[in-house]
Amino acid sequence: MDETLIILIILSLCLGAACWLVFIWAVKKGQFEDVEKPKHRMLDDE
Amino acid sequence: MSIQTESICSHCGISFRWKAIESPTDDGSCVRFCCRGCQGAWQLICGAGLDSFYQRGDRQSPTVAESLEQTVFNEADLARHLVPEGDLCRLDILVAGITCPSCVWLLERIIAGVPGVEHVSLSYSGGIASLRFDPRLVAPLEIFHVISRLGYTPRPFSPEQSDLDARRERDDLLIRFGTALFLTMQLMAYSYALYAGYFQGMAPGMKQFLQYVSLAVTTPVVFYSGWPFLSGAWRSLKTRAPGMDLLITVGSLSAWIYSLWALFAGLETYFESAAMIVTFVLIGRLLELSVRRQAMSGIGALYASAPRRATVVGEGGSRQVDVDSVRPGDLLLVRQGECFPVDCLVVEGETEVDQSLATGESLPVLLQVGDQARSGCINVAAPVTVQALRPAGQSYLMRVASLVRMAQAGKPRLQLLADKISGWFVPAVILLALMVGFGRFLLAGEGAGAAVMSALAVILIACPCAMGLAVPAAVLAACSRAASLGIILRSGDVIERLATIRIALLDKTGTLTRGQPQVMGIETCGGYSEAELIQAAATVEQPAAHPLAGAIVRHAAGQGSLPETCREFRNIPGRGISGYLPDGRLVLCGSELFLSESGIVLEELPDPDNAAATAVLVAIGGRLAGRYLLVDGVRNGAVEMVAGLAAARIEVRLVSGDHQATVERIAAEIGVGSASGGMTPDQKLLYVKSLQGQGCRVLMAGDGVNDAPALAAATVSCSLTGSSDIALENADVIITGDDLTRIVTAWRISRATVRIIKQNLAWAFLYNLIGIPIAMSGHLTPVYAAVAMTASSLLVSLNSLRLMRFK
Repeated sequence: MDETLIILIILSLCLGAACWLVFIWAVKKGQFEDVEKPKHRMLDDE
Repeated sequence: MSIQTESICSHCGISFRWKAIESPTDDGSCVRFCCRGCQGAWQLICGAGLDSFYQRGDRQSPTVAESLEQTVFNEADLARHLVPEGDLCRLDILVAGITCPSCVWLLERIIAGVPGVEHVSLSYSGGIASLRFDPRLVAPLEIFHVISRLGYTPRPFSPEQSDLDARRERDDLLIRFGTALFLTMQLMAYSYALYAGYFQGMAPGMKQFLQYVSLAVTTPVVFYSGWPFLSGAWRSLKTRAPGMDLLITVGSLSAWIYSLWALFAGLETYFESAAMIVTFVLIGRLLELSVRRQAMSGIGALYASAPRRATVVGEGGSRQVDVDSVRPGDLLLVRQGECFPVDCLVVEGETEVDQSLATGESLPVLLQVGDQARSGCINVAAPVTVQALRPAGQSYLMRVASLVRMAQAGKPRLQLLADKISGWFVPAVILLALMVGFGRFLLAGEGAGAAVMSALAVILIACPCAMGLAVPAAVLAACSRAASLGIILRSGDVIERLATIRIALLDKTGTLTRGQPQVMGIETCGGYSEAELIQAAATVEQPAAHPLAGAIVRHAAGQGSLPETCREFRNIPGRGISGYLPDGRLVLCGSELFLSESGIVLEELPDPDNAAATAVLVAIGGRLAGRYLLVDGVRNGAVEMVAGLAAARIEVRLVSGDHQATVERIAAEIGVGSASGGMTPDQKLLYVKSLQGQGCRVLMAGDGVNDAPALAAATVSCSLTGSSDIALENADVIITGDDLTRIVTAWRISRATVRIIKQNLAWAFLYNLIGIPIAMSGHLTPVYAAVAMTASSLLVSLNSLRLMRFK
């Protein structure tokens, strides 16, 4: 039982760390630069 | 007289009644335009296959600018803004006139369609197009021409170093916050397990394991994510000025150190408390930064787009040069509608100049050979040749700019509420903690370790998240509510400064008044009807750039009268204008002198009731037909604003560069007791400073170049949209639209915000009042601490959200 918990905690930390790396990549790529335009973009035809 | 049937322009959508310009379409029908500019834009859009632009529901077409000022850009000018990237070049262009997402859609596609342009992306909020292009295939000037043909005004844009720094700061903060959020979420999972263990029992090994994991995830939050607070706290310790950062650092560090000790002593830990303080306050910081950024980009889009160019007349004709390269003695040509680039002397021709932005005088002044013109004034009547007196660096505009810098340097800084409170709160808490620690060690005879820990527990409970959230949450809610009411607040601390204002100084021209005359009354004589008079006057005044002419044409449009095409238009500066109606009758509009010189018999018209009004006489076919009376109209809500400020016990005074009599008349009209006219920029600045010297907090509202130094020095400065760039740059509060009562609204929001901040802080203190005795007695368990902390943070946030419903 304890081992399962420990494995799960480590697993969740790894998953979280992966999301964290994606987030850092997104900030560095400037994904949060302009949050105004994308929400209008879906209304465009093509 | 031929009256055209009403047509609707296919590009800009206005209805007009003059002869349409027609273009054939593919299917054989015809589309009609109000002007060549619209036709050009339509051809460009349809030529690019983007006809669907006209079907878009959210479309608001720009009106095509008739005076294409952008033509004066040249290659050398733009080359300075190019950033080479390999074979390609990058260029940022600030595009003025973007009103809707469709504008962005259209511009992106049209620019991307220019051969040689590799990539273009346009931000909607800032109106900045960044594009990469191949300089061998396309010249940047061509891209500028494409944008201006669509009716938008392009201007090269080089991000300021401060903007780049702000961007880096935001990215840095975002990463720190993301990290804190991710780790705190993990931490909460362990904490819930520990809470459950506290009530139901838990194997000691498991508990310790979870506590170790908690330590591992909390440490980066406190020391990496919380680094801005740690370094801020260190700075404030060095300068002996305790601030908010110190409070947060003391709170999170004490929780972390206490928990570290508790972990080894086998007690309950408070790691989540340390991490939550940092995470919550980071949210506040981040949102505050985004509000400021939004305000900045909103202000950037308001700047006028006139490039600083001058036309030098030499032997080989005239050429465009940069203003900075104009030397004293150079002969310059200033056309109708252009700005005087430097201080200069008129050497040929005569004209009238609009000095309203530079001096505050509401009506144009006649300039003849030998008169001096200041830089920044607008030539409204006729082209003149002038001789430069001083280089651009010493011109009137530049002298004002240096006054502004001086005023900024000497501006008194107000201590913010949060810093003021932490100033005495932090030392008080530390003193209390020391007393508890020593008390336990000496009186209760506990061990040194236990005594230190009970002291730490007091600090930990005294510096809750609610304390850190109290101010930013309220400021954020207030800024976004203000923005939706048409008030842009440059930063959060403006709110606190605004709430303490005691005296409001208002500029007259352009702030209280519209800065342009309005028709107040019309009298007719000689058997002409009012409609006939309006029609005739509007027809001949239409081509003129004079503010009085503009007022007469606008008034005619308001009465539903449509001007016809005027023939043989002539403008006699300082006198008036003449032109022929389509039916061949001569119309003269102008001063009494102009008409009598032209041989018109002036019948006896009664003296105008309002001595301050400007009279424009109209003669049709050689006979006097009537008289217009014009005044510089007061903006909407001026009277209500003065009454509102008076009700708030804020004293209102007028300061203006215009003549004392005019200023006093306006003051009487809107109910202001104190009015000073004839003020120069330095006098306005001195006036603000002397009031501040008496201990008054001063609000300065102004729009012109001459107001800028006073704006920079004032406790809070306020400008309206349409103000000069230098005034906007120095404004803390920007009122959009024409409604002056928004100044009172801004003040009321600031008062409401300060009230909410005080409530939030009071709540945080109440929490301390209950929490500290429990912590001192040593009975505070992590579960209750966490519940109390979450509840108080939630309460503070919800209380702040009440500002979103502010009316």
